[in-house]
Amino acid sequence: MTAAIFEIKRFAVHDGDGIRTTVFFKGCPLRCVWCHNPEGLTAIPQTAHYSHKCIGCGECKKEGFTPEDCLGEATVLYGKEMTVEELLPILLEDRDFYETSGGGVTLSGGECLMQADFCAELLKKLKENEIHTAVDTCGFVSKESLDKVIPYTDVFLYDIKAYDEEVHIKCTEVSNRIILENLAYLDSLNKKIEVRIPYVPDYNDDQIEKIAHFLAPLQSITKIRVLPYHNYAGSKYKALDIVNTLPEKLPTDEEIKIAVETIKKLTNFVVLS
Amino acid sequence: MQYINQQSYEYIKNKYHDTGKPFDPYKRFIRHDEIFSPDSGMAPEDIIEGITENDAIYAELSHPVRKARALEYVLKNTRISCDGRDIFPAINMIDRPLSKTIIKKWRDEVFTETIPDVEARRSQLERDGIVAISPDYDHSVPVWDRLFTLGFSGILEESEKARASKSRTEEEDAFFEGIKITYEAVLSFIDRLNAMATAPKMKSALASIRRGAPQSFYEALLLSYLYFMISEHIDNLQVRSLSGFDTSFYKLYKKDIENGVPEEEIRSDLAYYFLQFTAIGNYWNQPVYLGGENEDGKAVINELSYLFLDTYDEMGLYNPKIQIKVSDSTPRGILLKALDMIRRGRNSIVFVSDKTIRRAMERAGVSPEDARLANITGCYEYSSQGSYCSGMNYVNLMKPLEYALHQGHDGVTGVMAGLDCTPPSGYGSFEELYEEYKRQLTRIIDVTVDTVNGFESYLSVINPLSMLSATFPSCLEKAKDAIGGGGCYNGSIMTFGFLGDITDSLMMIKKYVYEKKELTLSDLVSILDKNFEGEELFRRKLLADRGKWGNNKERPDAIAVDLVNFIVKNLCGRANSRDDKWNCGFHVARMSYTQGKLTASSANGRLYGEELSKNISASMGQNREGATAAILSATKIDATDFTCDAALDLGLLPSTVKGEDGLEAMYGLLTSFCRRGGHALHINVFDADTLRDAQAHPEKYQDLQIRVCGWNVLWNNINKEEQDGFIRQAEALV
Repeated sequence: MTAAIFEIKRFAVHDGDGIRTTVFFKGCPLRCVWCHNPEGLTAIPQTAHYSHKCIGCGECKKEGFTPEDCLGEATVLYGKEMTVEELLPILLEDRDFYETSGGGVTLSGGECLMQADFCAELLKKLKENEIHTAVDTCGFVSKESLDKVIPYTDVFLYDIKAYDEEVHIKCTEVSNRIILENLAYLDSLNKKIEVRIPYVPDYNDDQIEKIAHFLAPLQSITKIRVLPYHNYAGSKYKALDIVNTLPEKLPTDEEIKIAVETIKKLTNFVVLS
Repeated sequence: MQYINQQSYEYIKNKYHDTGKPFDPYKRFIRHDEIFSPDSGMAPEDIIEGITENDAIYAELSHPVRKARALEYVLKNTRISCDGRDIFPAINMIDRPLSKTIIKKWRDEVFTETIPDVEARRSQLERDGIVAISPDYDHSVPVWDRLFTLGFSGILEESEKARASKSRTEEEDAFFEGIKITYEAVLSFIDRLNAMATAPKMKSALASIRRGAPQSFYEALLLSYLYFMISEHIDNLQVRSLSGFDTSFYKLYKKDIENGVPEEEIRSDLAYYFLQFTAIGNYWNQPVYLGGENEDGKAVINELSYLFLDTYDEMGLYNPKIQIKVSDSTPRGILLKALDMIRRGRNSIVFVSDKTIRRAMERAGVSPEDARLANITGCYEYSSQGSYCSGMNYVNLMKPLEYALHQGHDGVTGVMAGLDCTPPSGYGSFEELYEEYKRQLTRIIDVTVDTVNGFESYLSVINPLSMLSATFPSCLEKAKDAIGGGGCYNGSIMTFGFLGDITDSLMMIKKYVYEKKELTLSDLVSILDKNFEGEELFRRKLLADRGKWGNNKERPDAIAVDLVNFIVKNLCGRANSRDDKWNCGFHVARMSYTQGKLTASSANGRLYGEELSKNISASMGQNREGATAAILSATKIDATDFTCDAALDLGLLPSTVKGEDGLEAMYGLLTSFCRRGGHALHINVFDADTLRDAQAHPEKYQDLQIRVCGWNVLWNNINKEEQDGFIRQAEALV
C-alpha cells in the first residue's frame, strides 16, 4: 500500500504540540478559496515550476529529465508514492526532539484521511514506536475513515471554517454538515481535539460567534486556535499554473484579537492565535 | 534607558571612545583622552615615553619585575576620572601601553633574535592561510572567588606568605616580587581613585576594596571592573570571563538583600556594570556565564541569575555576552527566559552543556570537582579554574585538500606549501585521495605543534602574568607564572576550521568523480583552478546536491566524524612546551572570513575567497533539512573526546519561533542537543539585514526557513514580493 505524499516537513513547530514532523498527503475534498497548500488539492502528482528560481540550466529540456535533476530546484514534483516502510524511518529520525518537546508526528494535507487505510497503518506503526500522533483534518470524511484512525490518534487538529452551511459552501464548495457531525462524534468518544479556525475577512469573519456557540458544549476540545489568513501561497499557484483564488484582504491584528476574545467569552476553552 | 538616567547613559556611552566619531570595533584598544582632566595625570604620549625611560632603570632586573614596574608607572601616572554620572571610574591609558613598549620589545627580541626560525614558520603558515597562530594572551580567567574572598590586599598577603614559606631561587623570588609590585601598584591606584572620588558610594567602596575583600554586591562589581580594566587594557592580558556570575556574586547579593539594600539599587548597579562593556564595544565581546551545578548536584541558578538576565534584557544590550551552563537540573524557567530573549533578538546568549564539558574534562584526567567548577573561557571554550590553556592556533582544514590535489602546491598561490604527492590522475580511488589528505593534514599538525611549542615556552618571558598568577594557588605553590606552566592545567589547543566545507568537498569528489564518474579528478581540479569559470551549471549541481554535512545524512556525516576522530587521535595527548598536552577544538572565530579569502574554490561549489563554514555547522546555506537534522549531525561528533569546543550555529526566523509553540520548540531543540551530548549551541534568530542579503544572494541561504501560517517554507521558495513582506516585518522588530 502506498500514499501520495507531497511534503515531509521536519521541525514543524505549529502543527500540534512540540516539535513535530508533518506528512502532507495529496488530495483534498474541499476547495477553500484561501487554500495555502494548492499543491495538495488533487490526488495525482503535479509538477510545479518556480520561475524565479530557474537558472536556465536547460536540464529540463533533456530526455529523461526528472524534477530531481533541476539544478535551480525550480521544478518540483508534488506527489510521491510512498509506503509506510519508507516513511517510518524518516518520521522516527527526530524522535529525540519529540520526547524533549512533547511533540510527535502530524498527518496533514490536503486531506490525509482521503487515504485513511494508509494513515491507519502508519499511525499504528507510530504508536508501536511510542510516538505521539496528530491528525490534521478538514473533517469532510466518512465516519468509517475516522474510525480507522481513531485508535491510533492522540489528537485531532480539526478545522472549522464556517458554521452556516451556505457560507461553508461558498468558501469551500462543500457542505459542512458532515464536518460538524464528525466533530461531535469525536467529542462523544472523548478524543482530544484542537480546533483550528482560519480567519478570512469577507469570507468567514461573520462566523466566529456561531462557531463558538457550536463548540461551547463540547467536552474534548483541548484548545482553539484562530489562524489569521495570509496570502503567502501565491507563488505556489503560479508555479502550479492554476487559478489563484487567494483573497486579497488580510485580517488586521485587531480583528484577530477580537475573534479570540469573542470565542473566549463564549466558551471555556483555551483560545490562541 | 531603565536604571540609568539619560545623562549617565550618554556619559558612559562616550567613556571609552567618542561615539560621535567613526568607531571600528576591530581596532583593538583605543582611548578617549578628552574626558580626562590634564590635572589628573600625565599626557598619554608622555606615559608611553616614560614607560621606556623608566624601564631603563630596571634593565638588569627580571621581566616580571620590570613589567610590574611598568604597570606601576602607568597606574601611578595615568589620568583618571571619577565622574558623578557613573558609578565606575574611568582610566585614560586603556590602549595597552605596555604592549606598545616593553612587551613589544621583548616580543621582538624573542621572535626575531631568539627563535627567528619559529617566527618565520609561523608567519609563513599565516600568510599561506594554512594556520593562523598567535601567542595567546587572550584566554585568561582569574580565580575570581579568591579575589572576592581575599580582595587585592589579601591576594598580595597570600603571595607573600607563599614567598616566605621556603627558600627561593632568584627566578622564584622575581616571580613573587612581580606580584608584590603589581598588587601594591593596584592598591595605590585605588588610593588615587579614592582621593579623586566625590560620590560617597564610590568613595566608600573604593576604601573598602582597598582594605580587603568586597563587602557588598557593588563593591564586588567595582573590584571585578578594576581587575578587568587593569588586566585587559593595561597589563596586556584579556580577561575572558567575568566569572560564573550567579555563583561568584551570589553571597554578596544575598548579604545586600538581607541588609535591606533595595533590589532596584542592585539592578541599577548591575546596569551600570553591563553598560561599561557595551560602551567599550570590542567585537570579541566580554564573556560572563551563568548556571552549572552545585556540589549537591542541584542547579546553580538562583534569583540572581534571573535578575541578571532580566536587567540585561530590559537594557537591550549585546555586550557582555552570556553563556549558560545547562545541566539536567537547570530549571526550565531560566532556559525559557533565555530562549525568549534570543528570539526577540537578544541573542548574545550561548548554551553550553555542563554534562558534556564535565565528561570531556574527566576523561582527560581532570578531577570531577575541577570539572564541575570549569570556567567558560571566551566564546565556547572551557577550562579548569586556575588553569591557562592557550588556543590561538586556527588550522584551515581546506588547505590539505588543495595540496593533495596540486602535488603539494597551494590552490591559490601555486606555492609549494604541502608535501609532494601524486598528480590528481594518480589517485585510483577516493580512499587513496583521502589518505593523502590525511597525510597532508598530519604534516600541518606536526608543523603547528613544532611552531607553537617553539614559542610557548617564551610566553612568560615576553609577557609575565603577575596579576593573574597571584590568583592561581598552583602558581604560588610552584612559584611559576600562569602562562609558563604555573597553572593547574596548561594545555594548548589547536582549533580546526571548516569541517562543513571540507566534508562536503570530499563527499562531492567521492560521489561525482569516483562513484558516478561524471568527470575525472584532473578535470575537477582544472575546473577548481579556473574558479568554476564557464562551469556555473556544474557548480550549481554541486550546490544543489543534498548529500552534505549537517543534514543527518549517513555518508557525509561519516566523513566528518572520521575526520574529527583522526584529528583527536593524531593530536590530543601530544606534549606541549608548558608541561602539559595538546588538545583540539572546532571553532573558527573570524577565520571563516579571513582564511576564506585565502582559500581556493572548493569541490562543494564554493568560490575562491568566499566565506567558509562556521564551527561544526553545515557549510553556508547547506543545512537543508532544518534544525533537528543539524543537531543530529552535530551530535554524531563525540564532543567528550576532546576538551575544547564543538559549537553549532542554528539559524531560525522570528516567525518560526513565535508564540508559545515556538518557544517550546526552541526548548526542545536545546534539550535534545544537550541530551545527545552536544557541547555548545548558538541559536540565531535572523534580522532584516540578513533577510535582505538572503534576497540578494539566495544561493547562500538555501537552508533558511520561514514560517508562513500553518507551515514553514524555505525562504527561496517564496517570491520577491512575499520576501519583501517578511523583510518589512523583520524591520519592525526591535
